[in-house]
Amino acid sequence: MSNSSESLALKAKNLNAKKVGSALLNNALIIIMLIVAGYVAITQPSFLSASSLINLLSLTAAYLPVALGIAGCIVLTGTDLSAGRAVGITACVAASLLQSVDAANKMWPNIGTLPIPLVILIVIAIGAVIGAFNGFFVAKFKLHPFIVTLATQLILYTILLLYVQQGNNNGMAISGLSAKYRNFVVGDPPILNFADGKIQIPNYVLYAILLTALMWFVWNKTTFGKNMFALGANEEAARVSGVNVFATTIAVFALAGAMYGWAGFVEAARIASNTANTGVNYELDAIAACVIGGVSFVGGIGKISGIVIGVIMLRLIFVALPLVGMDQNLQYAIKGGIILFACALDMRKYLVKK
Amino acid sequence: MKKKLSFILAAIMAVSMLAGCGGAASGSESESASAPAGESSSVSESTEKTPAAKDLKVHVFYYDYSDIYISSVRTEMDKQLKEMGVEVKNWDGGGSQPTQTDQVKTAITAGADLLIVNIVETSTSDPAKDIVEAARAKDIPVIFFNREVADNEVINSYEKCAFVGTNAPDAGHMQGEMIGNFLKENFDKTDLNGDGKISYVMFKGQEGNAEAEARTQYAVEDANKLLTEAGKPELDYYDAGASTKYLVDTAGKWSAQAANDYMVSLLGSYNEGNNNMVELIICNNDGMAEGAISALQNVGYNKGVQDGKELSVNIPVFGVDATDSAKALIKAGSMTGSIKQDAIGMATTINTLVKNVQDGAELMANTDQFTVDSDVDKIRVPYQMYDGASEG
Repeated sequence: MSNSSESLALKAKNLNAKKVGSALLNNALIIIMLIVAGYVAITQPSFLSASSLINLLSLTAAYLPVALGIAGCIVLTGTDLSAGRAVGITACVAASLLQSVDAANKMWPNIGTLPIPLVILIVIAIGAVIGAFNGFFVAKFKLHPFIVTLATQLILYTILLLYVQQGNNNGMAISGLSAKYRNFVVGDPPILNFADGKIQIPNYVLYAILLTALMWFVWNKTTFGKNMFALGANEEAARVSGVNVFATTIAVFALAGAMYGWAGFVEAARIASNTANTGVNYELDAIAACVIGGVSFVGGIGKISGIVIGVIMLRLIFVALPLVGMDQNLQYAIKGGIILFACALDMRKYLVKK
Repeated sequence: MKKKLSFILAAIMAVSMLAGCGGAASGSESESASAPAGESSSVSESTEKTPAAKDLKVHVFYYDYSDIYISSVRTEMDKQLKEMGVEVKNWDGGGSQPTQTDQVKTAITAGADLLIVNIVETSTSDPAKDIVEAARAKDIPVIFFNREVADNEVINSYEKCAFVGTNAPDAGHMQGEMIGNFLKENFDKTDLNGDGKISYVMFKGQEGNAEAEARTQYAVEDANKLLTEAGKPELDYYDAGASTKYLVDTAGKWSAQAANDYMVSLLGSYNEGNNNMVELIICNNDGMAEGAISALQNVGYNKGVQDGKELSVNIPVFGVDATDSAKALIKAGSMTGSIKQDAIGMATTINTLVKNVQDGAELMANTDQFTVDSDVDKIRVPYQMYDGASEG
């Protein structure tokens, strides 16, 4: 009697330990993130100052749109290597259309400065077309997105190199942006402006929050979102249950492209200098953020909140490592280690399910 | 069991990550004089042993850790700043202006007292202007170095802002002079096919970079001037039909790999067999020169000189920077000459300004011994020629 109750208690204890263990594991990244943040905060108290936290927030907001876009492609068990170049093209186009009238070497001297909403529409359309192009080849010819977007990435680079040599630009950086444009994206002062201007949150943070809400809605509350997850989880099953695979694939890539268009629009004003190198390798950071945030390459798995955490995590590494005096040479290895660790954790969940 | 194992693994990883942070923090030289006294939570015990006269927090932003010359500056900067008892933090921009801009803003929010910026973007001064504005808002001095902020307005707009670098066109002028003088003495030997003209190729580091533009232009122009004076024909670009008289690293990285790729494919159709071998190679930097030389060596050229005897035909290759590896090639006779950007001189000059900030003096105090532009706070570190006869 007492024996069995003891063994029961032992079992319960084991179960608890197991539960705690798996809870810890499932949230390992968040825990590590908090530990790192805590460590930085202790060694560098300025890390917790308002301006420092806003800085982290702004950085996250800047890199979020590309990650939100690319996540859809990953949910479809794909990827998108053309994201960075798409950001580059849309950034250069946005910048060239929104140079101030008296910019030193204005690319298109005859158009003046176009209205901002029009330019937003143009760059989002360009991004969506690029995405749809990718999606078409993936859907129509059943090519792996890795290959399709590897190819488009190269094609886009040529277009980008040619574009920056058009007009009066001659391959120079596109700068001298109109004050209105920078004011719209960054804000001077921004909309979110507290404590007599001491706390200023750039406008693009606000846009990123809206964008995140929009993407959450699309992913979770629309038929398109449900189709996307169904398709990512099992293409055959999705097809049988009436999902239009062709249209859904193209739409997912086009939506991703539209996000790159928006990212390009923001980046152009945020950095204020746009060259053929703008946006290069953005896709790698975005993919890394997605996989860290649990968007699985297995397909059909992923949450918007995970992506946000992934982006914050990467930016935290970016901000924190130099602050604690970590050799900058090591940052790449640490990033790599975290990606590997996150993916291993992610696969572990999947393997257990199986 | 598996679960337990994986948990233990995860825990070990987490701990080792932290240990890594801690170890690097307390062991790294950059922390040597850190953390204000009285901060009880400080991890680094050594801080109390080396109290700095003034806890100056200097953040240095390098445009790209993979750049050879910049690495030599970094080594020297780290050494000198450590001796000065300054707390220094280094950032790697990875060749990306967005990254660097983010880094600068991060450093400012972290309470930097002085920013030393090796700006990534040189074809426009807008990013530099952004950095100056951000620094001005917090009253932090900014020293730009090496990669020039072309727009003097940006430097002049803020009294606590200066630039330390070379006068970009000088490297091109000096390289041209060196090439001209070399050819005056070795014209017939260099003219492999004996057609009375020297056919050359130019490797350009980056499109739209002021230094690259100047070097590309003046190296050839000045060499031609000297050749004309000596009654010789001007240099002849190897491909008469080319639209530009240079081959450029399209990635804008001034990389050895780009020059090597060009050189390898070029040697396929331009070689001694076809009697149209390229007879002179001019490079914007030593990295590209090394790339070209390695391509030449693979097909039996530029093996150098031993005991006064040439081991193979040596095509003259000229670079800029005089990096250690280029110096070794020059000593071995595989490379002809380079223009030395003085890494130590650069670091010393920058640190003169750092010392001013540390002592609370004017940023541009004690700079009489340097060459300073008359209309802007730009200090020019002179170039030097480097060839086989040079010391060191």
